Amino acid sequence: MTLHSSRPDARTDLLHGTLDMLILRTLQWGPQHGYAIGQVIRAQSSDVLQVEAGSLYPALQRLAKKGWVAAKWGQTAANQRAKFYRLTPAGKQQLLREESRWTELVNAISRVMKPAAAPGTEE
Amino acid sequence: MSILWWLKPRRLDDEDFQNEIRAHLDIAADERMTDGVDRRAAELGSLKDFGNVTLTTEAARRVWRPWWIEVVHDQVSDIRYAIRALAKNRAYSLGLVGVLGLGIGLNAAVFTLLKAIAFTPMAGVAQSARLVSMFRETTSGRDVAVSYADYQYLRDHDRAFSGLMGSSLATVGLGRGKDSRSLFAEIVTGNYFQVLGVRAELGRTLLPSDEIRPGGHPVVVISDGLWRRDFGGDPAIVGKTIIINSRPLTIAGVADSTFHGTTVVYDVEAFIPVMMAPDLGITFGSKETTASAILADRRAAVFFTQGFLRSATTFANAAAQTDALWKARSADRPFGDVVDTLRVVPFWKTPGGAPMILLPTLIVLTSMGLLVLLIACANIAGLVLVRGISRRGEIAVRLALGATRTRIVRLLVVENVVLALPGAVLGVVLAWRGIPVLVGYAESLAAPRRVFFNVGVDGLVIAFAVLVACGCALAFGFIPALQSSRIELVSVINSDASPRGGSRGRLRPGLVIAQVAVSLMLLVGSGLVTRSLEAARRTNPGFDGSHVATVSIDVKQNGYDEARGRVFYRRLLEAARADAGVASASLAAYTPLAFLEPPSRPVAIDGYEPQRDEDLALSSNTIGPDYFRTLRIPLIAGREFEDRDDEHAAPVAIVNGTLARRFWGGAANALGKRVRVGDGEWRTVTGVAADIKYVRINEPPRSYVYLPFLQAYRSNMVLYAQGAGPIDQLVNQMRAKVVALDADLPILDVRRLADILEGALLLFTLAATMLFVFGAAGMALAAMGTYGLVSYTVKQSAHEIGIRMALGATGASVVRRFVARGLRLGAAGALIGVATALGASRLLGTVLFGVSATDLMSFARALAIVLGVVVAATFVPAWRAARTNPLSALRHQ
Repeated sequence: MTLHSSRPDARTDLLHGTLDMLILRTLQWGPQHGYAIGQVIRAQSSDVLQVEAGSLYPALQRLAKKGWVAAKWGQTAANQRAKFYRLTPAGKQQLLREESRWTELVNAISRVMKPAAAPGTEE
Repeated sequence: MSILWWLKPRRLDDEDFQNEIRAHLDIAADERMTDGVDRRAAELGSLKDFGNVTLTTEAARRVWRPWWIEVVHDQVSDIRYAIRALAKNRAYSLGLVGVLGLGIGLNAAVFTLLKAIAFTPMAGVAQSARLVSMFRETTSGRDVAVSYADYQYLRDHDRAFSGLMGSSLATVGLGRGKDSRSLFAEIVTGNYFQVLGVRAELGRTLLPSDEIRPGGHPVVVISDGLWRRDFGGDPAIVGKTIIINSRPLTIAGVADSTFHGTTVVYDVEAFIPVMMAPDLGITFGSKETTASAILADRRAAVFFTQGFLRSATTFANAAAQTDALWKARSADRPFGDVVDTLRVVPFWKTPGGAPMILLPTLIVLTSMGLLVLLIACANIAGLVLVRGISRRGEIAVRLALGATRTRIVRLLVVENVVLALPGAVLGVVLAWRGIPVLVGYAESLAAPRRVFFNVGVDGLVIAFAVLVACGCALAFGFIPALQSSRIELVSVINSDASPRGGSRGRLRPGLVIAQVAVSLMLLVGSGLVTRSLEAARRTNPGFDGSHVATVSIDVKQNGYDEARGRVFYRRLLEAARADAGVASASLAAYTPLAFLEPPSRPVAIDGYEPQRDEDLALSSNTIGPDYFRTLRIPLIAGREFEDRDDEHAAPVAIVNGTLARRFWGGAANALGKRVRVGDGEWRTVTGVAADIKYVRINEPPRSYVYLPFLQAYRSNMVLYAQGAGPIDQLVNQMRAKVVALDADLPILDVRRLADILEGALLLFTLAATMLFVFGAAGMALAAMGTYGLVSYTVKQSAHEIGIRMALGATGASVVRRFVARGLRLGAAGALIGVATALGASRLLGTVLFGVSATDLMSFARALAIVLGVVVAATFVPAWRAARTNPLSALRHQ
């Protein structure tokens, strides 16, 4: 997920799924507007993951379509108008599912990459 | 799912989304400003960070759209754009549509013919392609019809067929006296219509109950055409009486309007029960005299039988069953020593059938049609390529704006398809309007005989045209489109307009070479055929028909027996000779070059011992005295038949030069030798006549025997009269002689012998016309394409020309340089074309005549035309470029 792709219509399920999961995860701490979501992901990943607006907003629409997030216009702390997204109950469930699948995937990959040091494996 | 879920917006709220993006940009800009950047820089920075707003909006919209709408939407916008772009470039679009239309039209026309033979060889008969024919074949490959008795046996015993009918083509006279005319009829079995599944449009068809008692079923079924033409579509026609061969027959019904009989080309207008044939004077070569004896005679050649196989029967099975059945049936060798087999073949392979005759021509036409299409495709590729180059700017901008290459290729391909469809429409229209012209031409050549061609443009032809058009557009538009999309962005945007990269690849010279090669092949083909038509026209048929009038009659059509017939013909000949305008007159059974193969008959020859099972059968003609003088056929030895060679004199015969050479080593040795035709008497040869073309203008020499009319009576003869006066007057006088003798006798045919000759050239003329159209069309296409490509290349080099001129080159040297370059390509193409044409022209062998397939003249002519076009295509634009001011050429670039 370098997110520097010049091809906005590139369809990679893993990428999409992962971005969706990161957005849902960001919204777990409370409603947030698009710009902030991008900033949070960037900050939390220590500037490694830079979410382009071209990917972020379509992703938010995708989540809204699936009913995992709901949007509402509001005011930011700096008193600016912005559209805030919050997790719906369905979104919370989805996040849980995504998290467990992610953990599984990461563990699996780690076991392949570093067989000895992988967590959750018995010596 | 809750109702609320359904109420949620099913599409993107555009305004809301734009507001959201604006909010995003504001927040981002504010954040930058808190870092101390000024407002304008902050706004620009946040916009730059955001990226492409349009693409983002598009991506967000796409989230909400069902996938199929997206596909359709893209296509629709592509198509809209394509139409707009093409409408702007009218010359290009019209040129392409025209090229494609011509190619498709020619192929659709050929396809229509092929389809007729492959799928619906017989009009008005469902699944006629599955029809199976049956006929006797002797060891020498001579095919013979089966007798009625044998037909009955096969019908009752052959279990391979679900039904077996028999039919035989006959020319009969309709009406009496001067209103009478000749028409094609089929003598058919009672189950004929049932087996074929043809209904009656009015009244009833013939039924098995019409096949019980010889002479006892005076009924006839007429064709829709006869009903409409001769009876004005009279709704009360059923039950009325018509006169056929002087015998009244009651009209039982009118056959379905789509049905034209089983002979494929002849338009059959009456269907007569076989039980009535002997009453109408049709004896099928039998020596018997009563109706029942003729029908029982196993030596009579009556039917070619046809039927559908039972669903569970394979072809091989049917052939084996029929063969076994026939072996048992003919164990007693009723036909003498000649061994024959009963062959079972698919309908289209019926010997002498139109499909078999047309097949070689069709193969040639198909290959030429494909070549024309190939040229059309090469033209398309060339046009797309050239246009793609001039659209590099547009494509580069599209790429820069984020369009993917797939998307651009798709756009270019859609443009081609948008062009292909009008091309297909034009092609179908061409075929639809063109085929009737060709058919009308064939009909006028065959007149007054009625012919029918089962060709028509239907859904299948249209589908074929659309498929071919789209296939061409996709295949030949795709490669150049791909090249166009492969553009070096930087070089184009830096407005370096020199054609580089994909555009100058190997494609363009390749296309020129291909076009030159293919058009050369087409030109050679049409040149060869045109030359062979010329040769056929020049060919001496061996007789002089220029001042000869012919009148065909059949006295049995007015009920004459042999004794009365002899008197009639003697008086007719006397009357004709007495006419002041007639230099000489004679009679003959067959007209030469009538295209119909007369039945050949077994022959025995003095001093020639046929090998075991050999079936020595030759064609023969029955002629009156003065025949050779009237047609100006030279006699090599001996004398003509004379009035004294009558039934009381010793039997005589005349043979042709080929026969005399083949069996007796020369004309001089032939006199006094003996021949026997059929099961007749031995005849002494009194003369040897020079060979003529007997049936077809391109036939190889054949052995031929003439019998004297006075010793071998026939009821149907042709009166020949030759005189120096105006031929039309002579024709009318001869007709009047017949009417004066018997006003009720139908006159079957009156014409000039020269017209028959013209008819003999029909097939050649037709093939030559079509091939010429193909050749001309292909040449026009190739010339256009070659000219376009070559001249475009020269135009592209205006820059180069400018530099050369500026550096002091003369206009002439520049022109020479480009013409030489063009000629190199042309020569390469011509080389390939000549090599391929040499190999392929053997295909033409069957339709060629009097000219070798490697005819130097045709090749030289084609080569000259092709290279001429290439030179013109290079010379004109190069000359124009050389004349322009070098400075303006440089600046223009």
